[in-house]
Amino acid sequence: MKPSAFDYARPRSVAEAVEALGSTEASRVLAGGQSLIPAMNFRLAEMSLLVDICDVDGLDTVSCDAAGVRVGAAATQTRVLDDADAAQAVPGLRATLRHVGHLQIRNRGTVCGSLAHADPAAELPALALASDALIGISGPRGRREVPAADFVTGPFTTVVEDGELVTDALFRRPPSGAVTVVDEVCRRAGDFALAGLVAVVEAQDGAVRTARLVGFGLRGVPTRMRNAEDVLAGWAGDHSIEAITDAVAADTTEVFDDTHAPGWYRRDAVTALVVRTVRSVLESHEAP
Amino acid sequence: MIDTAREADVHVDINGRSHHHRVPVRLLLSDYIRDVVGLTGTHVGCEHGYCGACTVMVNGDAVRSCLMLAVQAHGADVRTVESLTADGTALSPMQQAFHESYALQCGFCTAGFLMTLESVDPDDWRDRTVELLSGNLCRCTGYQNIMAAVERAWGIERAGSRDAAGVGGEAHGDG
Repeated sequence: MKPSAFDYARPRSVAEAVEALGSTEASRVLAGGQSLIPAMNFRLAEMSLLVDICDVDGLDTVSCDAAGVRVGAAATQTRVLDDADAAQAVPGLRATLRHVGHLQIRNRGTVCGSLAHADPAAELPALALASDALIGISGPRGRREVPAADFVTGPFTTVVEDGELVTDALFRRPPSGAVTVVDEVCRRAGDFALAGLVAVVEAQDGAVRTARLVGFGLRGVPTRMRNAEDVLAGWAGDHSIEAITDAVAADTTEVFDDTHAPGWYRRDAVTALVVRTVRSVLESHEAP
Repeated sequence: MIDTAREADVHVDINGRSHHHRVPVRLLLSDYIRDVVGLTGTHVGCEHGYCGACTVMVNGDAVRSCLMLAVQAHGADVRTVESLTADGTALSPMQQAFHESYALQCGFCTAGFLMTLESVDPDDWRDRTVELLSGNLCRCTGYQNIMAAVERAWGIERAGSRDAAGVGGEAHGDG
């Protein structure tokens, strides 16, 4: 239960970090380390060089502008959770981070690290997809920005290549008047979700106008639930939920079926989350 | 070319005392505190961030010391459970409350609970104590007496008997 031996570098700039990462094939980026260090302790992750980016100038910033909230790769989850401006610009950030880990994990863990780790049960990659986030990646060929929809390619797998690092993520503001709800079913507060949902819902005159739904913990990558989104457009909570159940089933044909929860349970759970979420949005919308 | 190394000089303040050692970079902060500095009040349970027994404060924040390299604590101010009793005898108010409420049995998890509680402003967490403590596992007490100790130390009115819904349920509702 101890990490195997590695070399350690603490660069001060993105250029230095890229140079260090490129100096050996088996290099890894360390930010908060709340997923990587457990994997190192288990020796599931081994590397010849660990590049700690926590001292890189400018990477610990959280900035808000008209587009949304840009979170640097060294900014901790607690830092973002406590940022009132960020919470106002993209309410989904605070709603999501309340579900992420425990206090002690959030004090070290980073928002961008969670994106780069791409755990199928993690909340932040789902928020990134729901908010059309743009993920900044730097490498030997310079900087590129990748939309969240193209970023995660499989369980624990992203488009970030060897020698590259995530430097920032831009979470976009939701449409004006939209409500962001993050909910999940898990065994213990702070644990990874058996089924979870990030919903960005616009309501008008007691009915849903648009809903963007992203499920997580269901399969290898965050799941945009387009069938359910279509069914919900115009839904006023006044008729049967069968159509929603069918649509969610169509959106979740591929779902984890394992010792933690069978597939039918996860499908049922996310259906319940969708219905509960939309009802709560409509109720709060009707309230004066 | 940027420096890379397998060993590093670490300067760290622990409980107000400066420590300076040359350590392997793979050394975990938990092992540094226990094996190098010799402060064994911090316990190592699961070593993968699940149990919270190794919780210490780094620059005022509660962190899992098994999920941090000692070299990452370079220049930091670390506090461990030993700091709670300044003269080594008198218990802190929270320790006293744990004692009076029978909030520990084997005691393995206690240092982690105490450091999590020490790191926060009670006013921020008074209404969310279950969520706060959900990151620390106790396998003896069933948490009831730990909650009672926190309520005692923080002066929280106990509304009837606590609902024994378990740690997950209550925190999930407001989290």
